Amino acid sequence: MTRPSLLRRISAREAQLAYLLLTPAVAFLMVFMFFPILNVFQMSLYETNKIGRLIRFVWFENYINQMKNPEFWEIVLRSAFWTFTGVLVKTILGMVIALLLNVQYRGRKIVRMLFILPWASSVPISAMLWTWVLNHEFGLLNRTLHLIGVANPPIWLGRPISSFVSTMWVDIWIGVPFMALVFLAGMQSIGEDLYESGYMDGVNSWQKFAYITLPGIKHLVIIATLLSALWTFNDFNTIYIMTRGGPAGATDILITGVYKSAFEWLKWSQASVMAVVTFVILTVVAVLYARMYFRAEE
Amino acid sequence: MMAWRNRNKPMTLAITLVMLVLMLFPFAIMITTMLRDGTEIYIRPPQWFPDRPTVANLVNVWSEYNLFTYFESSMIVAVGTTILNMLLAIPAAYAVARLRFPGRSFALYLFLAIQMFSPVIIVISLFRIFARSGLIDSYLSLILANTVFTMSFTVWMMTGYFRSIPIEIEEAARIDGCSRVQTITRIMLPVAAPGLVTAMIYAFIWAWNEFLFALSFIKAAEKMPLTLGIYRFVGRWSTQWEMLTAAAFLALIPVVVLFYIIERRLVQGLAGGAVKG
Repeated sequence: MTRPSLLRRISAREAQLAYLLLTPAVAFLMVFMFFPILNVFQMSLYETNKIGRLIRFVWFENYINQMKNPEFWEIVLRSAFWTFTGVLVKTILGMVIALLLNVQYRGRKIVRMLFILPWASSVPISAMLWTWVLNHEFGLLNRTLHLIGVANPPIWLGRPISSFVSTMWVDIWIGVPFMALVFLAGMQSIGEDLYESGYMDGVNSWQKFAYITLPGIKHLVIIATLLSALWTFNDFNTIYIMTRGGPAGATDILITGVYKSAFEWLKWSQASVMAVVTFVILTVVAVLYARMYFRAEE
Repeated sequence: MMAWRNRNKPMTLAITLVMLVLMLFPFAIMITTMLRDGTEIYIRPPQWFPDRPTVANLVNVWSEYNLFTYFESSMIVAVGTTILNMLLAIPAAYAVARLRFPGRSFALYLFLAIQMFSPVIIVISLFRIFARSGLIDSYLSLILANTVFTMSFTVWMMTGYFRSIPIEIEEAARIDGCSRVQTITRIMLPVAAPGLVTAMIYAFIWAWNEFLFALSFIKAAEKMPLTLGIYRFVGRWSTQWEMLTAAAFLALIPVVVLFYIIERRLVQGLAGGAVKG
């Protein structure tokens, strides 16, 4: 009788201590994370005035209005395209850089450090630097293009399509190093014997990549891709600083849409509807990421 | 690694060089712009190298644009965020790493997922909360908001480090008469120091680079952190790019140095156990 009850007493005390230690962190998240999220949900069901006061409960009217709004769908589609293309290019370039860094040569460590720089840099500052680089008249990118024979380089941030491409490139540029580092770490944990037996079988470089390297890092590729998708979808800074979503909304995605609806157009209900949509999308991807993460841990 | 060695090396190096140019281009432009006189910015055709290179901008930007105030704000906010993070995260991480309680795996799951949410989702309601409680234009608003988005990851990282400490060390300390708190402060924290430092640097960098909360909560120039200050004032009117690049260069130094310290552990923490240091 004594032993089990003693154990139970100990574990009850242990649990008590655990809850005590968790209380500050959980209470903090309650106040500054869960409450604001609930608040956004609530606001999305109300009519609001210019300073964001709740005026009248309108059920799902705000949602219905958004569904009927073609601009909203344009932004949703653009966010999807932005995220998908961004992650795809990041994965490809990250893979290329990882393969390049997986070759032995002198100075490889320094090259690795240099490749990381875009990730180490501050995103807002990088966005400002790129704005200058892309300046169509005085920027050195167009000057360089001119020198190598491009007669009429684009007005990067002045036209819808080219500004979308520009901001997307900057977002990609920021996200590539993380991909490369994860892939590289994965490649270096693949046993040498696998490559050696591949060498015996006389496989070529492509087969080596497709049948040894890629399967070996499959798990990491999925985790890194999901994480990258979240970051890409969330990249407010690059877009806001470079174009503020313009010209004419050509670079607006959900995340900038939320901000601008609230703080610039003072349409708080509309902003909160977009925030809820964003929240749902992010939750799905975040849960996928967490599950993959834990599966890889085991 | 055998099979990768010494094959197509010139080709590898050539592609590496091209990729490096692509990745480092804006930093090269930053350097060549900040080293020139203001009269050499808006010229046609633009020149790659300044005629009369000068480091004057790196000095003048401090007085001309109150760069010191921005640095001070960034420092206060980043240090504050780091401290608040530690206060909240150390106990939580210890609980999750060492104690058994119902809901433990859910807590872990939650901490991992939370960091993935977007600041934009809650910035609207945080703004309303802070406006009502008079916290607009305060460092505290930024410290609180930054902590929401850094704490889950610091908990997560420290949990891993606490777990990697053999439980026997802790038990030995308990037998020697240490209380639970003493065990944490005297045994766990010193042993987990590398993880602790990584988490602290992570929180510091995050706060230093933060832009959205500052943009939303800070209107007074003297309270602006670097990111917002450089965006708002140096970048105003017809931009003085030689000044902006000088300010950018100075603002980047501390975070880039710190980033290189934690980079490997950060990748490990984000991608999970599949990545071995």
